[in-house]
Amino acid sequence: MRMTENNRRSWMIVPAHDAAAVMRCVDVKSDVVVLDLEYAVPPNAKESARAGLGASIKKLGDAQLEVFVRIDRDTRWADVRAAMHRGIKGIIFPGPDAPEEVAELGELIATMEKERGVESGTTELVLMLESAKGFWNAAAIAQASQRVTALGVGRIDLTMRLGPVPQDEFRLYRFLMTRVLVAARMLGKQPLGALWRPGSRGGVAAKDATAKAAREARLMGFTGCICATAEQVPLVNEGYGTA
Amino acid sequence: MNTLTTPGPGEQLMPKYIRRSVFVLSIDDPQLGEKAYASWADAIILDLVKKPDRDWQQDLTSRMPAAIHAAAKGGADVFVRINCDSAAAELEATVFRGISGVVLKGVTAADDVVTVAERLKILEASRGIASAALEIDVEVNTAGAVWHSLEIARASERFGVFLINEPELCKNLGMQSAPNLDFDPLEYIKSQLITVATSVGGQALGMSYPLGLTQENAGDDVVKKAVKRARDTGFKGAICSHASWIKFCNEGFRPTAEEAAYYVKVIEVFAEGIKRGMASVPIDGKMIDVPVDLRAKLYLKWANRAQARDDEKTKAHQ
Repeated sequence: MRMTENNRRSWMIVPAHDAAAVMRCVDVKSDVVVLDLEYAVPPNAKESARAGLGASIKKLGDAQLEVFVRIDRDTRWADVRAAMHRGIKGIIFPGPDAPEEVAELGELIATMEKERGVESGTTELVLMLESAKGFWNAAAIAQASQRVTALGVGRIDLTMRLGPVPQDEFRLYRFLMTRVLVAARMLGKQPLGALWRPGSRGGVAAKDATAKAAREARLMGFTGCICATAEQVPLVNEGYGTA
Repeated sequence: MNTLTTPGPGEQLMPKYIRRSVFVLSIDDPQLGEKAYASWADAIILDLVKKPDRDWQQDLTSRMPAAIHAAAKGGADVFVRINCDSAAAELEATVFRGISGVVLKGVTAADDVVTVAERLKILEASRGIASAALEIDVEVNTAGAVWHSLEIARASERFGVFLINEPELCKNLGMQSAPNLDFDPLEYIKSQLITVATSVGGQALGMSYPLGLTQENAGDDVVKKAVKRARDTGFKGAICSHASWIKFCNEGFRPTAEEAAYYVKVIEVFAEGIKRGMASVPIDGKMIDVPVDLRAKLYLKWANRAQARDDEKTKAHQ
């Protein structure tokens, strides 16, 4: 069992193409650094982001940081190929809908582990559920690969897919969080998610809103979440409890 | 009291059993009979104690018939709590005439229920218990039981009730046990279990937040309000952590006398309206039509069955 959920409260996400931002993570002291190939990278910077992953993973690894790479669902095969370098801890797969997608990605990772000299079977998969289908299939999806160590809630995509942007509380969100929590706990995976309230999501969250979102999620049974800014890291670490 | 027959047409929405208050007592309690008698609970769950210094199976086998008899003194249905991981041995030692069924704890998948159902069939045949008479209730305290609730409820015709053990379920889910949220973190799980149980003709028992989590011996008003919220959520009863809850559960998990009187009026006025060729009639400014009339009939039946259950218990106390 690779899961060390008590040590993975804050998952600091950083654009993979921004070398300076990547290196600033060394001082941020998040529990995990996530090099992003998805929303944080503009289309014209995707190639340079992929090309720089090897060096970034090495530098962050040298600083004793756990490094994951968030891939883009639509370009996941190319992204995984680009991400697999020695030192990588795992891949974050946003928006899986079916077990077959996860199994396929797991096999690709196995192939790349051999090719790149990464110890076989050590690369983890973190699944961020973002669709109605994904939530309904949560348990089957999470069991599709032995590599899956965490299940999370991807809020912004959920909001887009399941309804209009809410002006008030996104009430469906708590149901979806509950579903992820139950599946994760049943299968021994880390549950990831914060109880973001309207207007307090990710990068636009104020300090008190971030602290509240983390604290309430911990009370609900979650143990970590994605951080969009460095300022959120200490609040999230505190909210989810001492490592 | 305990029937496993499928409700007939028009009765699907009725609670399968009147199981408003469930009280847990240890078979080792020297005052088991007195406490059961004084409790007025609709059901008693007997908790087993496996004594390490003796052959626990033999010990239980010799003591269970008397314990069952004692627990039933006040007219309660008697159940035995069985742990999933040692179910076969525990069933062997505890299933005797006089119990209404077993409460299975630690269930994580439908197979757990299937295995117990098969074992009960054999025990019914060998111990003089009517075939298919024993019910299987599931105490929900694991994530697996929640996730697989539909398969679990459908796993056997014997399935009757989901009982939510909130403190243990919260622990299993990694939730904090202190009720510090302004919402019930188990809200959706409760909704799911109520819906699933009802879909197979069963029912779910549970308390509203935060009392279901804290299990406090709260004041009368707090318990009354909590029971009302639980009934409004769809629960048909609750496990009573304290004997003081039982009275409020018996009163709260049924239509009140005022509600029953109103339903009688609805049924009478609507019947008159139908005779006059009307499809709807007003009562106190509210429109009464077919669904309102049907609901009144159902709720009145529920009230009558609850009253009949109380009468049975009163008889047992005479």
